[in-house]
Amino acid sequence: MSASQADYKDRQFLAVIGDEDSVTGLLLAGIGHVTNPPDSQKNFLVVDSKTENAAIEAAFDSFTTKRKDIGIVLINQHIAEKIRHRIDTYTAAFPTVLEIPSKEHPYDPEKDSVLRRVRRLFGE
Amino acid sequence: MDTEHIDTFLERYLLLLHEYASLREQLSSLQTGIYQNIARANFAAERGMRFGQDYYDERMQASRRLAITTDDDQGAPSFAIKGEDSETEVQVTPEPTVEDSETESKHVDDAADGSKKQEAEEVKTAPKKRRDPLKWFGLFTPTPLRQAQAQSVQAIEEIIPKLVSVNAQMAQVEIEVRRARKKRAKAEAAAAKQEQVQESGGGREIVA
Repeated sequence: MSASQADYKDRQFLAVIGDEDSVTGLLLAGIGHVTNPPDSQKNFLVVDSKTENAAIEAAFDSFTTKRKDIGIVLINQHIAEKIRHRIDTYTAAFPTVLEIPSKEHPYDPEKDSVLRRVRRLFGE
Repeated sequence: MDTEHIDTFLERYLLLLHEYASLREQLSSLQTGIYQNIARANFAAERGMRFGQDYYDERMQASRRLAITTDDDQGAPSFAIKGEDSETEVQVTPEPTVEDSETESKHVDDAADGSKKQEAEEVKTAPKKRRDPLKWFGLFTPTPLRQAQAQSVQAIEEIIPKLVSVNAQMAQVEIEVRRARKKRAKAEAAAAKQEQVQESGGGREIVA
């Protein structure tokens, strides 16, 4: 129990991977954080049509594996689709990953990893 | 006995699922509102102005932070958001004030205590003002953007922490259900074996 406590007690930030409006909307609530220089690591990634999947994957890796100060990773569902293999194989308790709708892509329960888990539980 | 256990778990699971679905609905409607308000703000803005990443503060500091706790009984973590008035805020702000007041005192050694105090107070309030993300976009922010902020705060403070907490509880119950099912399967297999042994034993007796 103590090991897991050490794992979550420093996780005080939310991270966002999303399109510009999603990130702007969430940052308006005051969750945006840039660490002190020289690192100056941001806790968000704005994804547009030019952003490569490798960059999304790198941000996801950074937020979930490298950084130990993030407790929740919010990601637009349509962007999560681009790195679905990474999202589905991610099983760690912290940080927790939550898929959220975006402006042009409303929430689709079919793609929701939680509801897929529900189906697996009842389908066994 | 085990079946009853599993049913209780599943009942709890369905309640959590219901809560999850309703939170999802609330989050969707709040986010739709946020997007509509940002679009409205962009529509009414001056030509070329877009409320987006070009205006983000490169040194932004989070004013809403996460607090994760675990309930020992259930083991599932619970998430909460601490806002501006919480203790963490008080702990975070002093860093720049200490540095600034030190350098100031070197320059103005003979200054009166009163002015020093005033300066310190100004420094203390400055980061708080800068922390409001609305200020990134200028002094006079349009009403739709304020509305978007209010909806975003509600989503961040009320919906998202609950949603991830329910998710964690669901994951916990899933583990319990699978464990109970395994146990039941083992018990059934053992019972079937015993039955077989008894049957074959009985068969021999008949033959004998």
